[in-house]
Amino acid sequence: MTPRQFEETRAPQWQELEALLEKAENTSGPAGKRWDGARLAALYRATCEDLALAEARSYPIHLTGRLQALTQRAHRQIYRRQGWGLRRAGRLVLIDFPQAVRAQRGYLLLALALFALPLLAVGWASWRDPGFILHLMDARQVQQFDLMYGPGDAGIGRERAADTDWQMFGYYVMHNIGIGFQTFAAGLFAGVGSAFFLVFNGLFLGAVAGYLIARGYAENFLSFVVTHGAFELTAIVLAGAAGLRLGRAFLAPGRLTRLQALRAAAAEAIVVVYGVVLFLLVAAAIEAFWSSARWITPQVKYGVGAACWLLVAAYLLWQGRPARGGDDAR
Amino acid sequence: MPLDTLYLAETPEGIALALRPAGLVARGLAWMIDLAIRLGLLVAASIVLRALGGFGGALLLITYFALEWGYPVVFELSKSGATPGKRIMGLQVVMDSGLPVTPGASIVRNLLRTADFLPFLYAFGAATLLLRADFKRLGDLAAGTLVVYSESVTLHGALPPADPMPPARTLTQTEQAAVVAWAGRAPRLTPARFEELAELADSIAPAPQGGATAPRLLGVAHWLLGHRGAPR
Repeated sequence: MTPRQFEETRAPQWQELEALLEKAENTSGPAGKRWDGARLAALYRATCEDLALAEARSYPIHLTGRLQALTQRAHRQIYRRQGWGLRRAGRLVLIDFPQAVRAQRGYLLLALALFALPLLAVGWASWRDPGFILHLMDARQVQQFDLMYGPGDAGIGRERAADTDWQMFGYYVMHNIGIGFQTFAAGLFAGVGSAFFLVFNGLFLGAVAGYLIARGYAENFLSFVVTHGAFELTAIVLAGAAGLRLGRAFLAPGRLTRLQALRAAAAEAIVVVYGVVLFLLVAAAIEAFWSSARWITPQVKYGVGAACWLLVAAYLLWQGRPARGGDDAR
Repeated sequence: MPLDTLYLAETPEGIALALRPAGLVARGLAWMIDLAIRLGLLVAASIVLRALGGFGGALLLITYFALEWGYPVVFELSKSGATPGKRIMGLQVVMDSGLPVTPGASIVRNLLRTADFLPFLYAFGAATLLLRADFKRLGDLAAGTLVVYSESVTLHGALPPADPMPPARTLTQTEQAAVVAWAGRAPRLTPARFEELAELADSIAPAPQGGATAPRLLGVAHWLLGHRGAPR
């Protein structure tokens, strides 16, 4: 068969595919109503065959080029994404996220250690000797903390207007989720970056907490952080764990190539990052509207805070487990 | 070693889709356009929201956050698969299987921009991009995505008409393909260059003393395509 004969016999089919693609690309909604999806698939397969033949027989480039463009367009239509699906989002919250967290238990414990040990050590040190905090930050910053959590009027939890609450919400969302993302993404560099952010945040928080408690502002400080801390601190540790997962894939790819390992790790870790975003949004809302409200007594805040910690722990430990005695919950 | 940067993605149907990954300059320009658009939106939002006082300040921060992290993801998941900047540069984000980018992959590649940005101004991203034939930055590597040119260029057109003529000797398949490909480039070459290239294949269609080879070789190309007898 000469190229000319080939083109002449096949061209009607290609034109039909072209017309069908035109329709499929320019109408939204499922196939079957406005255009024939089955016909599109059949034509696509036939054209793939034509392309393979044309390439094997070294037919002229304008011919193979046309077929390549055509198959590429059809390929995109046939394998296109099937919507977002709210059900998937629900499944993510109810099953996938807590399961992914439990699947990465080891990384989570390591991240927790990297965060909590510096926190406790430095917290203890600056509780024993409030001057210790000056090793980590300068005097002006420390003064600000004094002002914020001290008994004065300028302190956090003053009775502020509703619009300031909103402003703080915006600030927390932007700032905290940014930190969460950074902690995750920096894991790409063999996990060092994630470890750095975890240790850094642990040190900082420990120093501030120890200092303020030593100064006698324990109630102001603890009643402020206890509720949103349940979500925020957990989220930072989770983001760090996801970052360490990436770093491990880079350091020890196992039987895969580094690239394949990295890709597999990113696919697993991203599920955790979705949850981190959710946690940080909740934390930002609580921090802006609840933690800083002074009309709520500290006792109530401690109670609600404890409930939140229990809730988070229970969610991460038990949510999405398969029903006992049943098949796999999936 | 091939000279072009075509990236071949095999489909389940067993054919190879040729994707053309976009390099540093095109992507850098697209990024700058996007940056300008984002800044413009932010400035516009700040002018409008300034009027709302503290509540407007909150919205502004949230707008900033959304523009920073949401802007690329939302546009990449749209039908065109590209942010406005990429669209202007004729680029598109696809999975490295040639399919439209998935939500998960788009979020991964845009989150990891943070890593690409280090230590300053996308230095890591640019370095990995330049070291690879498929021009992937770190985020693309982790997400399994590619930034490609969305339109394919056609270098070869239809053949100009000529009298079909059998070749003077038997041609191998590669030689046949080369002659036809040469003929297809006629619209893009100057007549002098076209003739010069034709003279390399003088043994296939020997020209009479002092005559031009190009029309005769063009005839051979038509003959190879299956034309016989009078020209179309």
